[in-house]
Amino acid sequence: MKLSELANKAGLKAINEYKDKNFEGVYISDMVSDIITGAKANTLLITLQTHKSLIAAANLVDVSAIVFVKGKTPASDVIELADKAGIGLFVSEVDTWSMALKLFNLGIR
Amino acid sequence: MSTCNHKWEMADIRHGYLVMEGCPRCGGRAAFFSTEAIAPIDEYQEGDHYWVYLGSSQATKFNLKCVECGKRVDLDDMMGLMMSTCDDPECAVVKIGKKEGKGTWVYVALCADSTHASGKCVGAEGIKALNEYFNQNIKVPGKKILVVPCDQCCNIDRCKGIVIADTGLTEIY
Repeated sequence: MKLSELANKAGLKAINEYKDKNFEGVYISDMVSDIITGAKANTLLITLQTHKSLIAAANLVDVSAIVFVKGKTPASDVIELADKAGIGLFVSEVDTWSMALKLFNLGIR
Repeated sequence: MSTCNHKWEMADIRHGYLVMEGCPRCGGRAAFFSTEAIAPIDEYQEGDHYWVYLGSSQATKFNLKCVECGKRVDLDDMMGLMMSTCDDPECAVVKIGKKEGKGTWVYVALCADSTHASGKCVGAEGIKALNEYFNQNIKVPGKKILVVPCDQCCNIDRCKGIVIADTGLTEIY
């Protein structure tokens, strides 16, 4: 599924300009040390974390895009770093569990 | 000499704490990884150093293993990874990044001893395997991860970067 299609179907708000590409799977984590050992390239990352270290970790493992749940929005310098890294950023008002359900119901595995 | 075109995966993943210590006598920093339930905060004498607890963060350590030939590379000397944002033109890390050009992201493999007085840093074999591991699955055309050892940093207090660490994790909510 393409990121734009996901954003549309899951009600995600894009907070930076992103490359509209297909992603391959999802990883959910709030720990950057876990992200570097668990997340795969070209996946979607769901998290509550909004600090720069998250972008450093996501970029290292080549995550495609990040969805911040519960309406959490990162600071401008974090968005700027994600822009440089080519990582799409989205915000959802729902919590992590609800987001996981939405993705599952959209057929994402 | 191995002819294997290694395909690395993480092995021996351990979860614990990265504990930072400082010596007020020499200004040195040290770090160690602890798998205890609570990060140790003891102060202690070690040779000329008097190590004082500075802080800790949840962290993960891992080794690399080739799924093709079974070769293992231990990364016990690596305490963490830092995305370099250093802008000191004299810093070797900056020079390496500039030489590589756009699309390359430089990450510094941090070892346990900031002064490098022990002569130990993350070894060449570990750095090579880390580079191969983090680049083998990249999907973005033109993107490259370049991991360098921290003995290339200009100065532990001046070399800027974003350490991949779970500091303040309990404050995120």
